[in-house]
Amino acid sequence: MTPALQSRADVFDIVIVGAGVMGATTALFLARGGQKVALIDRQDMFRAASGVNAGTLTLHMTRAQLIPHAIRGREMWLNSTAWLGEDVGALATPGLSMAFTEAEEELLRQRARVRQDMGAPIEVVSPQEAVRIEPGVNPTLRAAAYCALDGHIPAYRVGGAYARALRQAGVTIIENSPVETITHATGGGYDVRVSNRAQPVHGHRIVLSAGAWLEKMLGWLGYNIPIRCLINQLVVTETLPPVMGSVLSIANGLLSLKQFANGSVLIGGGWQGEGNIHQGGTRVIPENLRGNVRLAQYVVPRLDEAQVLRVWLGLESETPDAMPLIGALTPDDDAFVVGCVHSGFTSGPYMGRLLAERILGGNPDLSAFDPTRFSTPTATGPKS
Amino acid sequence: MFSPDFSPVTVIGGGIAGTTSAIALARHGFPVTLIDEQPAAGGQIFRAPSPYARKTVPPNHEFSGGDALRQKLAASPVNVRFSTRVWGLSPALTLDLIGPDGIDQLPPSTVVVANGATERFLPFQGWTTPRITGLAGASILMRDGGTLPGQTVVVAGSGPLLFSVAHQVLELGGKVAAIVDAGHRSDWLRLGAMLSLDPARLTQATSWMLRLRKAGIPIHHRAHISTAQETETGLLLTVSDMDHPERRHVYAAEATACGYGLKPTTLITRTAGVQHRHDPIGGYLEPVTDVAGRTSHPDLYVTGDAAGIRGMAVARLRGLITAHAIAQDRGGISAQTYETLTRAPLRQLRRLEAVSRRMLPLMNAGSAIPAHLQDETIVCRCERVKAVTLRSAIEAGAEDLNQLKAWTRCGMGPCQGRMCEDSARGLLTAACGNTPEEAGSFTARMPFFPLPLTAVTGTFAYSDIPLPKAAPL
Repeated sequence: MTPALQSRADVFDIVIVGAGVMGATTALFLARGGQKVALIDRQDMFRAASGVNAGTLTLHMTRAQLIPHAIRGREMWLNSTAWLGEDVGALATPGLSMAFTEAEEELLRQRARVRQDMGAPIEVVSPQEAVRIEPGVNPTLRAAAYCALDGHIPAYRVGGAYARALRQAGVTIIENSPVETITHATGGGYDVRVSNRAQPVHGHRIVLSAGAWLEKMLGWLGYNIPIRCLINQLVVTETLPPVMGSVLSIANGLLSLKQFANGSVLIGGGWQGEGNIHQGGTRVIPENLRGNVRLAQYVVPRLDEAQVLRVWLGLESETPDAMPLIGALTPDDDAFVVGCVHSGFTSGPYMGRLLAERILGGNPDLSAFDPTRFSTPTATGPKS
Repeated sequence: MFSPDFSPVTVIGGGIAGTTSAIALARHGFPVTLIDEQPAAGGQIFRAPSPYARKTVPPNHEFSGGDALRQKLAASPVNVRFSTRVWGLSPALTLDLIGPDGIDQLPPSTVVVANGATERFLPFQGWTTPRITGLAGASILMRDGGTLPGQTVVVAGSGPLLFSVAHQVLELGGKVAAIVDAGHRSDWLRLGAMLSLDPARLTQATSWMLRLRKAGIPIHHRAHISTAQETETGLLLTVSDMDHPERRHVYAAEATACGYGLKPTTLITRTAGVQHRHDPIGGYLEPVTDVAGRTSHPDLYVTGDAAGIRGMAVARLRGLITAHAIAQDRGGISAQTYETLTRAPLRQLRRLEAVSRRMLPLMNAGSAIPAHLQDETIVCRCERVKAVTLRSAIEAGAEDLNQLKAWTRCGMGPCQGRMCEDSARGLLTAACGNTPEEAGSFTARMPFFPLPLTAVTGTFAYSDIPLPKAAPL
């Protein structure tokens, strides 16, 4: 490093773009590994998917291939004091996925089978057994898949815990700073140009962890990977007396239902809203609100006493094969990506830790997530 | 020359601005729907009194003015939807409603937002104990319910509502233990000097002040309630001088009514995505409008106090001018006719607005209070969030209201931050030195108030649910 560069305050070993669960966990472990890290976000940290998701810790809804990672991620959440420094309120509960029609039962058994094969302790139980486990469910169900390893977290609380841990680890947090371009710097590394700063933030290496905004950023590095942005609807009720104790879902994966300690019930499952991540603004589609809430009320009939308190939308990113992007983007090992993890909140901390391990010289198995599997970089892309 | 567009107009809010606007729009030939959450038009000031209040409350200007307004509305072709609330809307201005027949949706139309003002509340130690109400709430209870909040009342906060409420307590035979005002006495005197521009207000103010003086009620300026303690018979209230906190008075009362001025109700305009600005004098967020209520959204107009707090007389004029502006924008009348129709109202508006603007600093006189809240004081009642919790989140890096909300739950409850937003913002700006614009506002979310879940779901069978295709295996 030249003396001139040293005197500049905005040179880092690693610049991470996107301060959600994946990016922040990567940042935390890299900083603890001795790296000088900057973590940049277009908004305040943890305000997109990582702060507004349903907080489900689930093996039922996670993709079968990601089950081992989800199990490790769930353990990290439940033991957050050990590595994050505080308890984020994660609660271990059973999870029940239900089938109400013949077709759903078939789907339920199929999904349970592939998950069992990947190590999830899921078993299909009778309606009577399901009602015994969770007395609040609609007794007309045909079958249920039971998983002992589910749970939930109030997602909004997590960001505060990360903020304190990151500061303590010495990570420089740069918030409300949309990244405009990323270019190769002369002499190596990358210049990350941020809209409200005259000088770029320079990183010898970079990590992209910008969730729904990854498509554009990967484009800057020459990768053309179409990333679909899901706009998931969430509905929360006013506080209710206890009506359920487990995380509930249905066979096709399109319901998540849980009651938090304060009594409010959160209804999710990936029903879609409308929105545009670049222009901003999302909006509820009334038919989808009705459909999602009807499904919830059907599964737990006592929700007919509830009041709908708030509806919001959270963004989720998905690759063409619905598998994550985690790993190195360049042969020089100076640009990395982590994101597009299905049910990413559950496994997120583990994925971030794996990438940090990889960057620090370890060799975790990330082969299934190789970000270069979709395209080779265009010739003109990466060089400025 | 014109090809007028007579597509429907929807007016949200049946107060004086909305009702005046609706009637004028109908006269211009528009099909108009007027929506209001109350069972009759009148809004807050001209609210239709209960039969009991008609018997117990002496005849007054609000009753007679309201009755006249309701008669005019009944004689107009305006289609009214009372007992109906707007709980959501889309950027194209589809309105989600809930009324006596459940949930309903109005297709996109030109929308006039006339949903008035919300009272600003600032907390103090013990404010969540019973027998403590807002000034506006106390006024509704007395004017329209004919009932006193308590036999002895301490009236506290800021702005002209202080004197109106104190007067109403006396009118119903109650006793006012003290009036506690955050404003400077000199600000009131300056306002008084301007009242010659607004003879109606001058007459009213003079009669109130004479009556309050005759009753010998102590008035504390630059003071606020710092603590409330519940006793067997009511409340023990400590009143502290704002500039010399060691100067204190203690009053016993059955109840206290406390409010710190009004602010525009902005849930609907924020959801519609129109441009807003922070008014530093009023200390509140308001939609950016021109004099006729046009906003950055071509089909959305804001009129009355929802466009900035100016009071009843201005609200009526604004409602009228907005209606004429819509008629002109839609080609119903020429620019020349618009000018003719609005010349007198605009002249009157400018004169009255000068007085109204003088009131804003008096209403906002409590703005320094949130910075000095005691750590143990509850800021968000819905979620029981104390000032100390907010301060520690701010220290951890929450520098805008939405991050503060996420990390502490402040503003996440049923009232959607109506009660705590001003104090949370005041605390935030004082702690990190950022501006109210940087601190922002809680993101407006639908539904605007809690909805019965069954109103959303209705009657259905499992097969009616349009289940999306299964998530990937």
